[in-house]
Amino acid sequence: MQPSIFNLPTIFSITESEIDLNDLLAKITLTSTGAAAIFTGMVRGVTKRGDAHETEFLEYESYIPMAEAKMKQVADEIREKWPVIEGIAIVQRIGKLYPKTPTVLIACTAAHRDTGVFEAARYGIDRLKEIVPVWKKEIGPNGEEWVEGSYIPKPGE
Amino acid sequence: MNHIKLLFFATIRDRAGTKSMEMDISTDMTIHGLKEKLSADYPALKDSMKSVLITINREYAFDEAVVPANAEIGMFPPVSGG
Repeated sequence: MQPSIFNLPTIFSITESEIDLNDLLAKITLTSTGAAAIFTGMVRGVTKRGDAHETEFLEYESYIPMAEAKMKQVADEIREKWPVIEGIAIVQRIGKLYPKTPTVLIACTAAHRDTGVFEAARYGIDRLKEIVPVWKKEIGPNGEEWVEGSYIPKPGE
Repeated sequence: MNHIKLLFFATIRDRAGTKSMEMDISTDMTIHGLKEKLSADYPALKDSMKSVLITINREYAFDEAVVPANAEIGMFPPVSGG
């Protein structure tokens, strides 16, 4: 059967469990897939850029039903901009997460690497950081502080 | 009157001291009016109301929007996931 947008795999979830890259990748790989672009972010224990500091752990929380709906929206936006994308996985882990631990994963698959698949994954993480309701509190040697974003969503976002 | 549920997250929840609250508001109340009511009723929230993001039934909403009956209103700072 020819994949259509109705049966292309799209995964979006907020989870407290470890992000399983191999499992997610298998779920978004079709027989026609030849390329995957994967972005994953992890907790940085030592920050050198800008306000240099150390992080003991991050505590993430989410407005889960809205966050999952907005992740679906990000996936829909990716498909509109890059119709050749086959599978999409968008996963955000929440809870108490320590340095080196992966916290977020965006993966897009396509038939070939020159299809926009890198740009699609990049767009996915950038949009997640703009509109998906997740927040993190940073706990370090000098106390704790909420990390605040700067993006103000526009009507229709 | 319209019955609504408010959900607070991150810094807004810390200042509110609670995750959620239910209240009755007038049927023509806008998001702007709701922010003014919360600022007046809960002084701890006054500063937060200047930069808060608001959602109605899990979609971003803006000052002019009228709050519908049984709305689930989310209130939170700009997001910082990833």
